[in-house]
Amino acid sequence: MIKFHPSEQHLVLYAAGELSPAMLMMVGTHVDMCPKCQAHVQDIEQHMATKLFGETETASIVHGFDEQAMLQAIFNSQSPAGSAAPAANDSLYLEGQRFALPPTLARNSHRIGEWSRLPGKLWRAPVRVGGEEMLNFIYMGEHASLPEHTHKGNEATLVVNGVFNDEHNEYRDGDFMLLDEHHKHSPATQDHDCLTIAALDGPLHFTTGLSRLLNPFSSLFFK
Amino acid sequence: MSSAQPDNPEHAAELLAKIAAEQSRAAFSELFRYFAPRLQAYATRQFGNEQTAMDLVQETMTNVWHKAHLFKPDRGSAATWIFTIARNIRFDLLRKNKYRQNDLSADDLWPVLAETNDSLDDDYALDNDLLMQQLAVYCEQLPKAQRTVIELIYIEGKSQQEVADALEIPLGTVKSRTRLALQKLKELIQHDD
Repeated sequence: MIKFHPSEQHLVLYAAGELSPAMLMMVGTHVDMCPKCQAHVQDIEQHMATKLFGETETASIVHGFDEQAMLQAIFNSQSPAGSAAPAANDSLYLEGQRFALPPTLARNSHRIGEWSRLPGKLWRAPVRVGGEEMLNFIYMGEHASLPEHTHKGNEATLVVNGVFNDEHNEYRDGDFMLLDEHHKHSPATQDHDCLTIAALDGPLHFTTGLSRLLNPFSSLFFK
Repeated sequence: MSSAQPDNPEHAAELLAKIAAEQSRAAFSELFRYFAPRLQAYATRQFGNEQTAMDLVQETMTNVWHKAHLFKPDRGSAATWIFTIARNIRFDLLRKNKYRQNDLSADDLWPVLAETNDSLDDDYALDNDLLMQQLAVYCEQLPKAQRTVIELIYIEGKSQQEVADALEIPLGTVKSRTRLALQKLKELIQHDD
């Protein structure tokens, strides 16, 4: 059962295509995994369509173009080439395990870069989607942890498979959370590993003890 | 001309079905006269540019004309489907001018017009060869009389009457053996998971 969902506003902006590329991927992946949000997005799309096409005052509708010419052009047109999407790969292999990718990630599997190892049983791979924000897969092995940190911006995290905890909650498959610079947290796994995707619009900022020494290197977790 | 307008969802869905089935220009023209001016008003507000707005209208409606067969009435209304096409085209138009290699395209996010939409959504898209091998194993477990009937019908492609003639048994027997065999196969498949 998914406990944490994107906000209503995120779903609206997703349906309109008005989030950053990284956030569109995050929300799209959650929607793939969450029947409730899927139904919600369909309602939102329907609502937007009604708003767009429900215009009844003909006065506000411009018939200012040559409809007949456009109709002819359309009848004479070639069928638009089907989007020759690169073959979707719905599996990701890591540390000898197979992870099933939800459709949004599967369609974009060609964007996943090389995995690199970070300190503390953590692995990271960038997902190249363009835009200012960074989108990364973060894989935490069993009994792994990330030192307590804040963010110099927002961090959105989605559990693709597995379970992790922070001081506040436990997060499982499909759970979506958004943290801003005022939240401190230290994510950790226990007996289970965890594959997540995370969108960051600024580097992490470590807040306690020796881990502060990591701050000059925090771009490791970012770019 | 019927009194129904394209703002009636059922009528709009019927028009799309006609376009898909018989490339009906009349049906498309009717949809076009309703949707195109509204799209144009929306696009003009969005882009503030006549030409880009016209591009959006033309690209959207061109897809409606050629891809009407991809409209699935059980997944939403015709208006919603046309809206999602326009949303995708707008998304790509906004990125066209500053296109970089890594940029997401609308199809990567919302595969509204993907011909393969169904197979990606289908959790049970089994490898065909594997399925046939597995089915062969199940068939082995059928009583011989039922298996013979199933093989003649599903492997050799005979009709039930032809099977009845070949085996010199009544048609009713062929039918009941087929039904029992399929029932048994269904049980075998369901209990295997």
